[in-house]
Amino acid sequence: MANKALRFTSRAQRGSSKRYFVIDDPSWCAAALLLVLTLSSSAFFIDQTQLVYLCVVDGMLLLHGCYLRGKLMSLIKLFVVQLLVTCCLYLLMQQSDRMLEGVLAVCRLLLAAIPGWWLAMSCSPERIAEVLNWVMPVKWAFVVAASISLLPFFSREIQEIYAIQRMRGANISAKALRNPRHWPELVHCILVPLLIQLLKLAKQMANAAKLRQFDQRQKTTFWRY
Amino acid sequence: MFDKKLQLQDALFIGFCATLLVALKSMLRLKLGLTGHSMFLMCFFYLVCYGGVGRCGAITLCGVLAGVVAMILGVGKGGPLILAKFALPAVAMDITLMLLPSVMPLLWRFIALALAATLAWALKGFVGDLLLGLSVEVSLLKGAKSLFFGSLFAIAAALLVPSVLQRLKSHDLLHKDEV
Repeated sequence: MANKALRFTSRAQRGSSKRYFVIDDPSWCAAALLLVLTLSSSAFFIDQTQLVYLCVVDGMLLLHGCYLRGKLMSLIKLFVVQLLVTCCLYLLMQQSDRMLEGVLAVCRLLLAAIPGWWLAMSCSPERIAEVLNWVMPVKWAFVVAASISLLPFFSREIQEIYAIQRMRGANISAKALRNPRHWPELVHCILVPLLIQLLKLAKQMANAAKLRQFDQRQKTTFWRY
Repeated sequence: MFDKKLQLQDALFIGFCATLLVALKSMLRLKLGLTGHSMFLMCFFYLVCYGGVGRCGAITLCGVLAGVVAMILGVGKGGPLILAKFALPAVAMDITLMLLPSVMPLLWRFIALALAATLAWALKGFVGDLLLGLSVEVSLLKGAKSLFFGSLFAIAAALLVPSVLQRLKSHDLLHKDEV
């Protein structure tokens, strides 16, 4: 059932402009996930002397990500913001002699972020979901697949509700939302109607799945395409 | 086991909330540059999940699913470590929920849960900073800043949730009376 939902997702996406991913095989995707987990964790735990090896590996991933036309702006923004905050805090604590420690820590943070960025560039989301299916219970794999396949629906609903509420004069423009005083309006004008839709949709989908005997048998059945 | 008892409708609602949380977070993070603003959405959706499902454990499930969805969609640049970012505050909320007396007024219960989530979130940041090699003083200062701003946003979300649940109840969409 979960695979069925996943296939439905990939079929729905095939209709639109499909993005090319280098890793489109579940086994390779599992290996990539393990690699990313190891590299991201290593950035926190390895000794300073071994950091150069991690820099080399992450540098290769960075080059590969750039080759795959990944945008570096998010990584640069993360690095600059963290560097500024950390340097300011060191100056505030009158520890300017230990500033290098802070710069090194921010570099480690960047090294932890690069593998995740590369994963998003190189692995197809459907394959990541397929790998997660191996470790997740069928019911939850179905829930994840159904939720992700409904993302375009959520997006359309949000856009429609947003446009209607703006026409009614709600203070929920991007500029107005910079002021937290307008956030309750966002919740009541956008999130509440959306939650009402979601609750109704969850009920309908659960009934449809129950009618198809989902979660009633031990052995999982698949729809053949 | 909790998973067996949970109805498919509730499981789907938890999944939808988790996906919506990730989608809205990725939309808003570029527009708002405020520290701790992610705690607003996180606490809001976790508490709505608890209110909608009415079971201890629903928040943890929502947190884990949000982490999984974020990992699949490549939101947050953290790769598999993004799971901890979403799941830790959720686990802290569920543990607090088990410790809190059930007779406690709903609003205060939500505020306590929001504060527990923020504490876990700031603690995760503090431990992460220490592991990265920042000095204890700077890590503490960063942690305190996260705790202060995160608490403000989390409490704001907790204050909104009872009225949202009331509106959902008035539409006859909440079939649980535990909360």
